[in-house]
Amino acid sequence: MTNTWYLYLFFAAALVFAGLLGLLGKRSLIKLFIAIEVIAKGISLLLLSTGFAKASILTAQALVITFIVIEVSLVATALALIINIYRQTKSLDIRDLAKLKG
Amino acid sequence: MVLQTALLIGLVIFSVLAILLKDLLKSAISLAAASLLLGIIFFRMNAPYAGVFEISVVAGLITVLFILTIALTGGGHDVRESKLVNWVFPLVFVAFIVIDALVMKSLLGKVPALPSGTEAGVFGDVLWKGRTLDLVGQIAVILAGVFAVLALFRKRDKHD
Repeated sequence: MTNTWYLYLFFAAALVFAGLLGLLGKRSLIKLFIAIEVIAKGISLLLLSTGFAKASILTAQALVITFIVIEVSLVATALALIINIYRQTKSLDIRDLAKLKG
Repeated sequence: MVLQTALLIGLVIFSVLAILLKDLLKSAISLAAASLLLGIIFFRMNAPYAGVFEISVVAGLITVLFILTIALTGGGHDVRESKLVNWVFPLVFVAFIVIDALVMKSLLGKVPALPSGTEAGVFGDVLWKGRTLDLVGQIAVILAGVFAVLALFRKRDKHD
């Protein structure tokens, strides 16, 4: 693989790790979802850079577009869930969801 | 190459800011800035369609959805984040960056390049003819998302 690919791989790994750290350390539901978005950015960067390095950028673009559409669908559903959770618990704290009471 | 590296560094900085900033609105705007930089990176990698999607959908639509949710939930000021995380996060992240750089340096040139077939045609051909099954899956996912949002925001009747 070309040397450029390693540079992209380095930054994609940094993005995924930053997202994982956010998922582990944060308590706000919206913050957790922002961390998931950061991981998604790392993955799409990796997909496209691999396509770029392998001279198959068209297939990589098609995959990235598929990924983005799925991401939007996920975001819409997850944010609707977060709003419903807020209506129920009046809080965005993830620890409040541990109380499994009706 | 220098500009591309600068864009990638900016992308990582804005992404880390999006996670670390206390104000959710500023976090959402940082995430949009990161998406914008990623879109520019895509454009520079000769992937204009992916760049357009990244900027219009991720930097535009998803940011609007995030800001709408923050407005509807009151900004999440009631959540008390751990103070330890604000100290540990940058330290662990910098340690990871160092390890990441060392690993990439040692891997340099060691990952064998698989044979790549030459791509022919235009993007439209690859998307519509080469990835037909993906598109069916995409339509199913979009419909699932629409039905999920409709189900979550349905009006409650008197019997509920």
